Amino acid sequence: MISSPPDQKAIARRPLVKESAILFTISGFPFAIASSAVHEIRSADSLAGSAMEIEQSGVSKVRHLVHRGNRSYFVVNGCAHFGLKTARPTLVLILRDSPVAILVDKIERMADIVAPHPLPLAFEGEERRWYRGLSYIDDMIMPVANPAGFLTRHELRALEDALRASRAEAHAELSGPVTQ
Amino acid sequence: MTTSAAAIENNSFVLLQLGKRRFGLPAAIVTELAPPVKLHVFPHETPMVVGVIMRRGRIIPVYDVTPVLAGKKLPDRRFYLVASRKIDGQDELGAIPVDGECELVNAELFPSPEDSPKYVAGVLSIGEETIEVLDFEKLVSTRVAAPGTAGALSQSEAGPIA
Repeated sequence: MISSPPDQKAIARRPLVKESAILFTISGFPFAIASSAVHEIRSADSLAGSAMEIEQSGVSKVRHLVHRGNRSYFVVNGCAHFGLKTARPTLVLILRDSPVAILVDKIERMADIVAPHPLPLAFEGEERRWYRGLSYIDDMIMPVANPAGFLTRHELRALEDALRASRAEAHAELSGPVTQ
Repeated sequence: MTTSAAAIENNSFVLLQLGKRRFGLPAAIVTELAPPVKLHVFPHETPMVVGVIMRRGRIIPVYDVTPVLAGKKLPDRRFYLVASRKIDGQDELGAIPVDGECELVNAELFPSPEDSPKYVAGVLSIGEETIEVLDFEKLVSTRVAAPGTAGALSQSEAGPIA
């Protein structure tokens, strides 16, 4: 009936720049993440041995720290992060440029996706930080995760503080007075 | 002046059906009546927004206004009335689920009763029926205690996403 707003026409005419993505699911919901943002994919079981528990950080979606090579990663539970029903994650996406690993249910496949559409302005919650935008893949619109959106600076600081406190406690126990 | 207020001036309205009631929207902000296309849902925290639909290459957010207007859940088989709104100075399309065909009418807009909700911009008198005309901006900004968060979404309610 009426012509569309001009800015949305511009969105529809966006150039088709493609990028490689990993499609995965959490609690039945599909997501995409740029392949370039993922350093490694491991089974959750394979990391269990090297995981260190983090207590009382105030960041309930992170319970463990894992070490890979000379780096450490906070393991974010994807269900808790996105406010979804608890599922049984089997895989861990270890991110490349941040000390974050994500627990996910499964990897669907790799795909070349068109650069994501910006999230409509109607969305005004935390999702603006969670997602880079939305992508149309195989007749499905799915959010493209923002690798920097899994932990805020504040959450990272809280986790690092909790880690430091726990290490100091362990150190104090080891170097305490030896009783005969 | 909101988009809706400006659009009301030409006295042309689209009448939509929601449950047993009809409502009006200024025709100037209405873009199309979309068929029952797939509703795509994903985790988010924005109240009122239930998901997105794809129309003509555009991703359009869908506002679930049915709890506000009809006090019930989304109809199973729904059409979408797509209208324009301004957010942060930018035009953006948004859709609301409706139960069926819409009708275009020309009628004079009368002031709404004082106790009307804020999202009612006025009323139309058509035959013996009094129809509330909606202020789209105010309607989709209405806060309701409804399950709008991702955690509350079930796959069955989410539609054919998987």
